Amino acid sequence: MAQSGKGKLNYRCPSCFMRDLDIDMFYDKDKKEYHCIRCQYVGTEEDVLEKNELVRFRYKDAMKRFTKFDFD
Amino acid sequence: MDKFIVNIIHRPEMVPEYAEKVTGHGKEEDIGRKELLTESLDIFKTQQAIAHKNGLKTTIQMTYASLFNDEAVELAKADHEKYGDEIALSLLGLPCEEFREKYKTKDFCIWMFSMEDKKSIVDDVFGKFRDRFGFYPESTGSYYMDADLVNYIKEKYPMVKCAVATCWEEGPKAYHTCNNSWYTFMDGGPWAPWIPSKQNVHAPAANEAEDSGIVAIPHLSRDLLACYDGNGSNFGTHPQNVLRGMIYDSKTWEFPYLYNLIDQYRDLAKYNNGYAYNMMFVGPGWMNKMGRWEAPYELLLKSYEDGMAYYGQLKKEGKLDDMTMAEFADYFRAHRRLTEPECALWRDILYGSDKQLFWYCDPYMRVCANMDQGGAIVDLRPYAAKLEWPVGIGTKHVTDASYPFLIQEKYRAGYFTHYAGEGTVRSAKLTHNGEEVDLCLCRTKAHFSEEGRTRILTLDPVDIEFYDLTVKLQTKMYFEEGSSRIKIERTVLEMSDPNAEVELNEYMVACYGTTEYSEDMTNVVLTVTDGAKTERIDYAYKCREAQLTGATEAVAVVPEIETRVSLSCEKKDAVGYIKEGYAFSPMFTLGYTTRLKDKEVFATWLNLAKAN
Repeated sequence: MAQSGKGKLNYRCPSCFMRDLDIDMFYDKDKKEYHCIRCQYVGTEEDVLEKNELVRFRYKDAMKRFTKFDFD
Repeated sequence: MDKFIVNIIHRPEMVPEYAEKVTGHGKEEDIGRKELLTESLDIFKTQQAIAHKNGLKTTIQMTYASLFNDEAVELAKADHEKYGDEIALSLLGLPCEEFREKYKTKDFCIWMFSMEDKKSIVDDVFGKFRDRFGFYPESTGSYYMDADLVNYIKEKYPMVKCAVATCWEEGPKAYHTCNNSWYTFMDGGPWAPWIPSKQNVHAPAANEAEDSGIVAIPHLSRDLLACYDGNGSNFGTHPQNVLRGMIYDSKTWEFPYLYNLIDQYRDLAKYNNGYAYNMMFVGPGWMNKMGRWEAPYELLLKSYEDGMAYYGQLKKEGKLDDMTMAEFADYFRAHRRLTEPECALWRDILYGSDKQLFWYCDPYMRVCANMDQGGAIVDLRPYAAKLEWPVGIGTKHVTDASYPFLIQEKYRAGYFTHYAGEGTVRSAKLTHNGEEVDLCLCRTKAHFSEEGRTRILTLDPVDIEFYDLTVKLQTKMYFEEGSSRIKIERTVLEMSDPNAEVELNEYMVACYGTTEYSEDMTNVVLTVTDGAKTERIDYAYKCREAQLTGATEAVAVVPEIETRVSLSCEKKDAVGYIKEGYAFSPMFTLGYTTRLKDKEVFATWLNLAKAN
């Protein structure tokens, strides 16, 4: 098995991201999957992108435009 | 009329942070690679062009490496001529072949060098700048500038009037986010421009004798709620930081959060005599052609264009003034008293919680009150101590530049702890017939007002429900400019049984430190006094307590941070107390208990001073 390298983008581990850790993943071209060297996450690009949508769950107001910033 | 000012800063960084490490993965390190230098300069040109297209002037912070590059120097001169951009000097961007050869190190953070090296590098960089431009810069900066460094620069180069001097709440949280590999520990500073003291850059000067002579600006304008809780590098006026936080729609590439952040900063004018401020400073490494993490170059570029276009639109609408750093320093000094506080009543604009914090900063303290916890003080930095805290190689704090806290709810717990012990917080408890309710569990909202030079925070009343009694209680907090103390007033507005009495326990659990891990508390001395009699506890982790009826003050002296903190009150029959902690709860508690009836008011003061 050859060494892993960077994928086409520096995808971070979605599992680590959810615990406020930015960890670049490495790409195994033989298995066509990314893997995290910090935790046990393994996934295809499709899975990474899907999980990246999931991590946004906490940003309930991410797409809302605010016009008032007090409660007066 | 409100004035909202923005500083746009660009730096031609010939070896951008991350570019070599991240995009150069799989290659041997070579910071002199031609492609790297060419790309870096291209990014700088792109950033400058975007700002100018939107009618915005910039401050060009030349890096040491860029001073060796003729094209970078000529670009700066041309943009200064054409657009009025300021040519300044950054102490970021030191790495280059010339620097490595001369200083034989890979260190790149100016505050981490030995004092001898700091002086040498400053003289080298300032001298090189003068050789290239024929004058010395008026503005400089880094992620952090320690007091000794600022004092040296100001003494040697008195024309310097402005510096980027800290990244707000970039400390252990950023370190953890970077898998414990990013050593920028600089919690506890102001979030908006300030005039640093000569003793400690994070602590604003209280008078002319303490004035360091510069105006400091923060690196970015950061979300005062999200950055306190999470990674600071996701939630600032830095479009690619917002992408880093994944706060954008991955299909449309829209990110209204950035505009909400800018607008909330604009809104802070109403708490600061009509003045508000923003700073945007995107290093070129964030716009490299290889993309950054999940974001392709096209998205990185779009985010910068959109962010700058928003500032440009505000300017066209007459809602924004773009200034260079030196222009801003002049404006700030002309419009600001040294003791004038910075205030921010800040709401959640991201998580949908409606949570609200109040941040207050003056030369004596930085305070955060959390309205989701009944207005409890959840962060407290005793600037009154003006703690001299040298940083860099050869000092006791090689990398830790944070201003120490007395209270920090994230690092030393707040109201909630596991199993045993207490966390740091300044709150109050009400008890009645064996039931106890802490105001930390009473979610509310606050309103800001001013009376003379006192800033007042008035919280919406909360209902405290006991089994057979409901108490409607209101909290008001008074921040009197220059007083080095906070008055907290509790008023019983209503009781379901007008003849009932409740016990009120005003308390402050505190310790000291800059990180999550506890420090040695054995030098802490606790006293409670009524003027005639004094009870004293020398901290030894023995869980002891002492109290005095009619106490005028309950005091803790923390020698390691040269701080004296106390609670005081004027009510004759209130009981003042002190509590020592124990090994599993390395805290101390200062407090007062009293009994309250319907319509009664109880006021206490939290006082801060330098312990000599």
